[in-house]
Amino acid sequence: MFKVVQIRDTARVPPNKFGRELNQSIAEILQGQYEGTWDKDLGFILAIHNIIEVGDGKIVPGDGSAYYETVFEALTYLPKLYEVVEGEVEEITEFGAFVRLGPIDGLVHVSQLTNDFINYDKKNNTLSGKESGRVLKVGDKIRGRIVTLSLKRGSAKIGLTMRQPYLGKFEWIAEEKKEG
Amino acid sequence: MLNYTKYEKVRIIGARALQISLGAPILIETSTLDPIRIAQEEMKKEVIPITVIRD
Repeated sequence: MFKVVQIRDTARVPPNKFGRELNQSIAEILQGQYEGTWDKDLGFILAIHNIIEVGDGKIVPGDGSAYYETVFEALTYLPKLYEVVEGEVEEITEFGAFVRLGPIDGLVHVSQLTNDFINYDKKNNTLSGKESGRVLKVGDKIRGRIVTLSLKRGSAKIGLTMRQPYLGKFEWIAEEKKEG
Repeated sequence: MLNYTKYEKVRIIGARALQISLGAPILIETSTLDPIRIAQEEMKKEVIPITVIRD
């Protein structure tokens, strides 16, 4: 799930950044420090986009930098177990399909694609159901549910399933709805 | 501003000189190159953007 969260932290502004607009300097420093990083509670920190509050600068002995207590907003992404997600198929392999969920990819294992038996077509790079004839290829939009989640420092392994009502490729869901 | 003790003054000049030596923009016209002298001149002209919190 994408979230906008408020974070309070101290920003260290080095002297060579002094003469400019303070909020902009602080934004740049926080962006360099946080963007693209991983936090245990927040997930992936994607962007620092709003500096809400900047306190008084403090000078510490032995360091020429000024320290500002700041409050800012960050855009984060934290995958949650049993969350329903939508994404685009990025890659097909013989063991499943990788789906881009946003900042990271999730894997739909072949056993979790449909109730059908799945064949891997190496030449066309597709996965197809033996009886239903349903085909999954790169670029398809799908909806799935996160069923396995292993979050480690800097990397997340996400397993999805599409074997539940109203999950799967958007076209399949449309068919399912028509059948009622 | 001018009721600083000599300890406060030297702390401000020291902190400011370190900032200047690390590339902070200077706030006066001067021909001096020494960061400490520049900080002292700034102190004399009362342009240093540093205040002392006494608690």
